[in-house]
Amino acid sequence: MDKSVNDIINALGGTGNLANLLGVNPSAVSNYRRKGFPARLHLKIIALCEEYSIPINDNLFDGAKISLNTIKKTTTESLVNTSHSILNNLSSDNYEVIDPPILVSADKILDRLGESIADKLYIFSQHDGVRVCLRPDLTIPTCLYYLDHGYTGEKKLFSYFGKVFQFHGEDSNEAFEYSQAGIESIGDKDKINSDVEVFSKISNALQEEGLKNYNTYFGDVSLFREFIKVLDIADLWKEKLLEKFWNDNEFKDLLLTISKKKRISDDFSRKIYSLDKESAEDLVRGTINAVDESSYAGRSVEEITDRLRQKGEEFSIDPLSSTTEKLIREFLSISDQPLKALDELKKLCKSLDRSLLEKIEETIARFEKIQNLGVNFSKAIFSPEKGRDVEYYTGFLFDFVGKSNSESLYIGGGGRYDGLIKSLGSKLSIPAVGAALNMKRVERFSNLESLR
Amino acid sequence: MSPIRFALPSKGRIQEEMNKFFSSAGIKITKSGGQRTYIGGFKNYSDIEITFLSASEIAKELHKGNVHLGLTGLDLINELDSKKTNKVVSLLELGFSKANVVAAVPNSWIDVSNMKDLAEVSKDFIKLHDRRLRVATKFESLTRNFFLKNNINSYRIVESTGATEGAPSAGTAEMITDITESGTTLEANNLKVLDDGIILKSEACIFGSFGMNWKSVDLENIKKLLRILSAKSNAISHTEITFNYDQRINNLDIELYRNFKSFFLNQSFTLGNDVSLITPNNQVAVCSEFLISKGYGTIKINKPDFIYKSNDESWEKLLSNL
Repeated sequence: MDKSVNDIINALGGTGNLANLLGVNPSAVSNYRRKGFPARLHLKIIALCEEYSIPINDNLFDGAKISLNTIKKTTTESLVNTSHSILNNLSSDNYEVIDPPILVSADKILDRLGESIADKLYIFSQHDGVRVCLRPDLTIPTCLYYLDHGYTGEKKLFSYFGKVFQFHGEDSNEAFEYSQAGIESIGDKDKINSDVEVFSKISNALQEEGLKNYNTYFGDVSLFREFIKVLDIADLWKEKLLEKFWNDNEFKDLLLTISKKKRISDDFSRKIYSLDKESAEDLVRGTINAVDESSYAGRSVEEITDRLRQKGEEFSIDPLSSTTEKLIREFLSISDQPLKALDELKKLCKSLDRSLLEKIEETIARFEKIQNLGVNFSKAIFSPEKGRDVEYYTGFLFDFVGKSNSESLYIGGGGRYDGLIKSLGSKLSIPAVGAALNMKRVERFSNLESLR
Repeated sequence: MSPIRFALPSKGRIQEEMNKFFSSAGIKITKSGGQRTYIGGFKNYSDIEITFLSASEIAKELHKGNVHLGLTGLDLINELDSKKTNKVVSLLELGFSKANVVAAVPNSWIDVSNMKDLAEVSKDFIKLHDRRLRVATKFESLTRNFFLKNNINSYRIVESTGATEGAPSAGTAEMITDITESGTTLEANNLKVLDDGIILKSEACIFGSFGMNWKSVDLENIKKLLRILSAKSNAISHTEITFNYDQRINNLDIELYRNFKSFFLNQSFTLGNDVSLITPNNQVAVCSEFLISKGYGTIKINKPDFIYKSNDESWEKLLSNL
């Protein structure tokens, strides 16, 4: 019996109900009534129809130029060959399985991640000149999926399993394409619980895959932020310390320079600093000797003056005391089993502002919850400096590192990235936390373990 | 035996300078079938087949492994080869077409004089302008590597195919990286090179492509050709200092090599004889001062036409890569 699109929508409970099932707006479903189901939803509709025993006809999916049988066949095959149990694990508890587009706007990725990742991307131009790239991971595509579906802060839980593409240079042994499995929890305002949930879900999935021999490295970059905030030092030093946090070498250099009184003086910036804003800008304008604003090439006189003032300020404010410098070093050098490390941190910071101690307590609560869910911390390390190499995370984060006799390799990880969705074009800042596994490495280590 | 395929530039200043270089070395390039064709050979060096291509095509052909040897700019090779595979190797630096790939910012950025400043400005820029600082360039790879080395990631590259130096005043980018010989074009466009902003010192070189099959070619003529080209390029970059060896100083040769990269043509020294010291051009003055300070008298300075060394490094490099 032939079923039209309308019949299927009705059989699945009508516009509102199907919208809920698919996680889209009702207006989108009304659109389907007129235009048919979009290709990306075919798999899901078929799955729903099977679930509710609604007979369907191949013709319905003509638009995709793929016969229903092929879809069914490839679905089962890919589930058998690759994702096996992991997607089932990750998609339990209301995690919606999504398959975001493989092609992403190259500009969106580069704007977000910075130019240095470009060498790792497969970038090419479409016929209309738009530059696209193969997705290098699934986190950004998932966030884009969230935004493209019109969500503006609603809590959504996603899981995925799909190919990602990264170029590592001709001589590299690393895979250029591999499957990534993961979850993202977007819009959940209960940050502690969503952190705990995402971590325990991905770590359960990893163990279900038969992986036991790995270490977990935890961090929480928000602790450092709070720590610097409550220190009794000049705001300019705080700004600089937070900025350089992401690069260990530069941070060390900075700490050295700002712990000493500056000797070499830069007369021009000192002069600028001594003047009021208006006179300082006039002086800069005169020095540049440019006729019109356009020749300042992208940076205004105000901007240049501000930076010179800041440089001048550096000469006049006090350097860090040796106690503070030592405290910062000690803070960053802590590294131990999570609850122990946090206890050490608490002791180290006991004389500092309460807001930091509250933050540490909050982190302790998070780890206690994780522990209560049955996670063993015997092979886990927490360090407050963990995560500083990825300028991406905003709070709690973790890495899984697989161990064998000969190698130790990153197999997955995740964390909180509250700034990402806004930077991708959302008006609101939307909290998010997620985690992903490199399935090639997961399989490699689970094979190794089963051999043992 | 099949011929060795050698690609030479077909146009531009690099071609003019190459022609001058070859003729000063007494080497004649022949074009088969008249001036307009794009194949040829070297007179007196048979079994070498020349293909004339643009300098950037030569870089690509070397990388693809379509030619054995190629004469082109180091900048073009490194731009393609930023991931440093060793398939394309520089055998001989020829000393002409010298230019630097540099990072330059508008003169009006009086608060920026080095890469450290730029790193700070790039981070402020995104906060103040809600987008990343744009860098116009035709050297995307070199720029990315150089910025990475300087811990700068907060920027975007704007591809430029020509007149890059105009991008900041046109408003299509805030700064540029570009190749420049003297810097005058940059100055004319109100741009300044950052103190530590030299990305690459480039010059014309002969490159070998070792993805090619070298087994079926006869190397005898290439060996001779490389030898005379090396001798010529040594002579261009070096000067001969002659002085009378009238007092014995232990380890003089070692000291001269260490401090001035200078070496003696004679291996044995007889007291009272004239000796010849080969010195890089830019070391001649300091090296002479040094000799005078050691008490050596009359110093004569000559510019030789050819300097043959007992072992030709370019040939050795070629052999070691086969």
